[in-house]
Amino acid sequence: MVPTVDLDSLPMGPLSMAGLLALEPAELRRLLKSGLRRGLSSDDLQALLEQDWQGGLDTPPVQALLAALQQRGWFRRDGDRWKTHLG
Amino acid sequence: MAHILAIHSFRGGTGKSNLTANLAAAFALKGKRVAVIDTDLASPGIHVLFGFTPAAGQFTLNDHLQADASIEQCAHDVTPRSVQQAHGQIWLVPAAMDGDRIARLLREGYEVEKLNDALFTLSEKLKLDLVLIDTHPGINEETLLSTAIADCLLMVMRPDSQDYLGTAVAIEVAQRLDVPAIRMVVNKLPELFDPQQVRERVASSYGVPIGALLPLSDDLLTLASGGLAVLMHPDHPWSEQVRGLASHLLETVL
Ligand SMILES: Nc1ncnc2c1ncn2[C@@H]1O[C@H](COP(=O)(O)OP(=O)(O)OP(=O)(O)O)[C@@H](O)[C@H]1O
Ligand SMILES: [Mg+2]
Repeated sequence: MVPTVDLDSLPMGPLSMAGLLALEPAELRRLLKSGLRRGLSSDDLQALLEQDWQGGLDTPPVQALLAALQQRGWFRRDGDRWKTHLG
Repeated sequence: MAHILAIHSFRGGTGKSNLTANLAAAFALKGKRVAVIDTDLASPGIHVLFGFTPAAGQFTLNDHLQADASIEQCAHDVTPRSVQQAHGQIWLVPAAMDGDRIARLLREGYEVEKLNDALFTLSEKLKLDLVLIDTHPGINEETLLSTAIADCLLMVMRPDSQDYLGTAVAIEVAQRLDVPAIRMVVNKLPELFDPQQVRERVASSYGVPIGALLPLSDDLLTLASGGLAVLMHPDHPWSEQVRGLASHLLETVL
């Protein structure tokens, strides 16, 4: 099953660790957590999306999700890595 | 890339800093290159166990998080001689000890993301095998970050009812953050307690594997954080168990 996220209900503003902890569903936390440390390569991200969200970078629901995260400044591509941004 | 081991407890005084410093020595005695990061910025202290005090002009983690010192400049080689002979190395990233600096950090805050990036930069620059993170007790932004980026989380507790309750909260948080491996460490186990009963209570409370049961020790109390028990009292049961924990972690999760 593809996890459902009500993108409009995600809070605006910077992401904190406490905020990340409170997010649902678990797949959304996992995605943002995976962008900590050194971040994800495009291949890592693609694999994670296929596993958790049943679709790669080029599928519309995943694109809408990434756009919502990027709009909030939470998760975006920096050079060749996808990174979660806090604070 | 270095493996990250976070050492945490819900309540204070469980023995995190003593365990972290001694585990660092145990890993380094096996030839590992280890960094110890003091993220207990509100009440730092692990430097004492290494006999290290930042001199004027020596940088601390605060100088990286709140100013422009590079993280390598904040890492100090504290390798004891016996560990050098085993070809291991230990670097310490201490936190600032003066009241003004601590107050400034609490007042102004810093970007936790900078701490994340610092650990990985340091691990590359120093070619580290392991990064050990000593934490502030309880749940705050730093401990959540340390938990989220750890390859393994050691959750330290005493066999005390308040610790049992609080630890459940910290474990639930770790599980929400998908920590790949968690090990329980019970420290300060009084001689009168039956270790088997404690094992069973811990196992049934959390469903998380137990890494070690460490005895309450007069020798550790007397050492009073004045040095590393694994080096000063290597045959003591506490030290033997800490070395055993280091081996277990290397074999299973690190
Ligand atoms: N197994 C033990 N037996 C007896 N004393 C111990 C033991 N482990 C630690 N101690 C003592 O307990 C005190 C607290 O230890 P430590 O500073 O390592 O705890 P901590 O969890 O880091 O504390 P904090 O939460 O304040 O950071 C110290 O005085 C230390 O010597
Ligand atoms: Mg401590």
